[in-house]
Amino acid sequence: MSELVLEISALEKSYGATRALRSVDLCVYRGELLTLLGPSGSGKTTLLKTIAGFEAPSGGEVRLRGRDISRLAPARRGVGMVFQHYALFPHMTVAQNIGYGLKLRRTPRAERERRVSAMLELLRLDGLQARYPRQLSGGQQQRVALGRALAYDPQIILMDEPLGALDKALRVEMEQEIRSLHRELGATIVYVTHDQQEALALSDRIAIMRDGEIVGLGSPEGLYAHPPNAFVASFFANANLLAVEEAVALGDGTARVRCAGCEIRCEASAAVAPTSAGGATLAVRRHSLRRTHSEGALRLRGTVAELLLFGDEQQVGVDVEGLGRVVATMQTRECTDLALGSTIELYAPAGEPVLVGQ
Amino acid sequence: MTSTAASTSPPRLSRGAMTGDRATRTAGAGVVVAIVLAMLVPPAMVVALSFSGERYFDFPPHSWGLRQYRVLLEDPRWGSALWLSVKIAVPVALLAAAVVVPALFTFHRSRLPARNALQLGGLTGLVLPVSAYAVAIYGVFVQTGLLGTYFGLVLADLTLALPVMLLVTSPALSRIPEELELAAMVAGASRARAWIEITVRLLAPAILAGGVLAFMTSFDESVFINFLGGPGQETLPRAILDSVRFGLDPVVTAIATLLILGTSAAMIFAVRLTRDRG
Repeated sequence: MSELVLEISALEKSYGATRALRSVDLCVYRGELLTLLGPSGSGKTTLLKTIAGFEAPSGGEVRLRGRDISRLAPARRGVGMVFQHYALFPHMTVAQNIGYGLKLRRTPRAERERRVSAMLELLRLDGLQARYPRQLSGGQQQRVALGRALAYDPQIILMDEPLGALDKALRVEMEQEIRSLHRELGATIVYVTHDQQEALALSDRIAIMRDGEIVGLGSPEGLYAHPPNAFVASFFANANLLAVEEAVALGDGTARVRCAGCEIRCEASAAVAPTSAGGATLAVRRHSLRRTHSEGALRLRGTVAELLLFGDEQQVGVDVEGLGRVVATMQTRECTDLALGSTIELYAPAGEPVLVGQ
Repeated sequence: MTSTAASTSPPRLSRGAMTGDRATRTAGAGVVVAIVLAMLVPPAMVVALSFSGERYFDFPPHSWGLRQYRVLLEDPRWGSALWLSVKIAVPVALLAAAVVVPALFTFHRSRLPARNALQLGGLTGLVLPVSAYAVAIYGVFVQTGLLGTYFGLVLADLTLALPVMLLVTSPALSRIPEELELAAMVAGASRARAWIEITVRLLAPAILAGGVLAFMTSFDESVFINFLGGPGQETLPRAILDSVRFGLDPVVTAIATLLILGTSAAMIFAVRLTRDRG
């Protein structure tokens, strides 16, 4: 990868007895958009606040371009931030909001005006510079917030659930806007969200957090197809976690697994110990399940217990003896014959299931 | 008022109950109107009397005119009383702001233990009976030599003005998101600068409104001045009280009228200041 911008090592944060961050290591490279994804309370916002300087770490360090910034005041870190509720200054115009960071840096007036109008143009806010935030729509406010963070050319931009306050249609539009802005400017961005779709749509890389730890790190495609553990498989890849009767890791990245009376060979994630595969479960993504058999597929047999129509797709909950509820997402037209209580056979094609550790 | 009555009534009601409800509402509205009118009668009478042309209290007056206002302007006693009241109330309002604004940041932005209890303690002056409070302050002032001094009166009024200021500004600060300060800080502002340029700036209308109310509290104060004021210290409320005590002079109606107008204007101004921020 290219140049290292942000380097976080062994970062700790405790509030009394609760550990909000547990020895977090993370590198962010120039020009990438890295998403911190996790359920609420997983520590993603705490990590972002520690990078911004709103929270002092209990241990470890944060380096920005090689400079240790962990003890610096937020003002002296040179980062930009976009907040969940925009946090625009209500008593300042659009232009004053965008130019605020430049004014604090004592940028000469002419230069400041040039930068602000460049931002207005970039963010399609021309003609709105004299407006106050309350006179703008949600999307426009969001763009002003982006402009305020970008105007002084920070090393890195932090975004704390910036689309959380928008309705769905606008969110999709703003996702595209952030993605194209990111490409256009080559900005380095750390983006916090709890929304898996948003993370998939925006990220170059995703760090999945749980209980103050990063439990999965990689490209969206990589994490989706090859989840490193059970949490990433179920939280991020929408996988069913199936108990295995026997599993032997073969050392070449694959394993032989007995599950639901079926013996298959499948991929094993690196975290699974090579010889004994104790405590491992089989992750089978909801979308990978089919109703037709294929060579080497895992077969699951059960009764339909839940039918949920999404439109083109349908979610089918199947109670499988010994495994509990297995959820499959299938094309609606493949499911026309199904009714609650009917018997069904599901197949996970060879290459789809992944043996993961806890 | 009617909408509150409608929204609080249980959803399942028979037609009879509905008409009964309407009757209750009409009766309620009648009572409120009667009370408001009753409250407006005395000030209205005072305003009317102030335009009497007589030298004595007489209702209804035999003649009308601006005599009371002319006398008010000619008698230096009223002017100096007004001046002393203003001289006390202005520093009281300024000091209240100077104490309460920094305190607000402690109550709202610090992790000080028991900060909520402290804030509640700040309202003491509003809860205690004023005469009891005056006796207590009298005791302290006798010990410290503040009795009958200008500074003592400012301090005493401040104990009443502080809670007023706190009551107006504290809710206003809770409506200003902390994220705004964080946004300013990450953009390059020190904490102090973020507080001043963003938070205090946004709080300014509430501080001004609190200042107006603190000023009025001190300007109108008539208990402390009688306990703690020296012989030469005649504030406007005290002058009014004395003039009524030693023979009824209809000039007080002119003073009262001016006070009613001034107070109403100040209150409307203060209410608008706090409401306009949406």
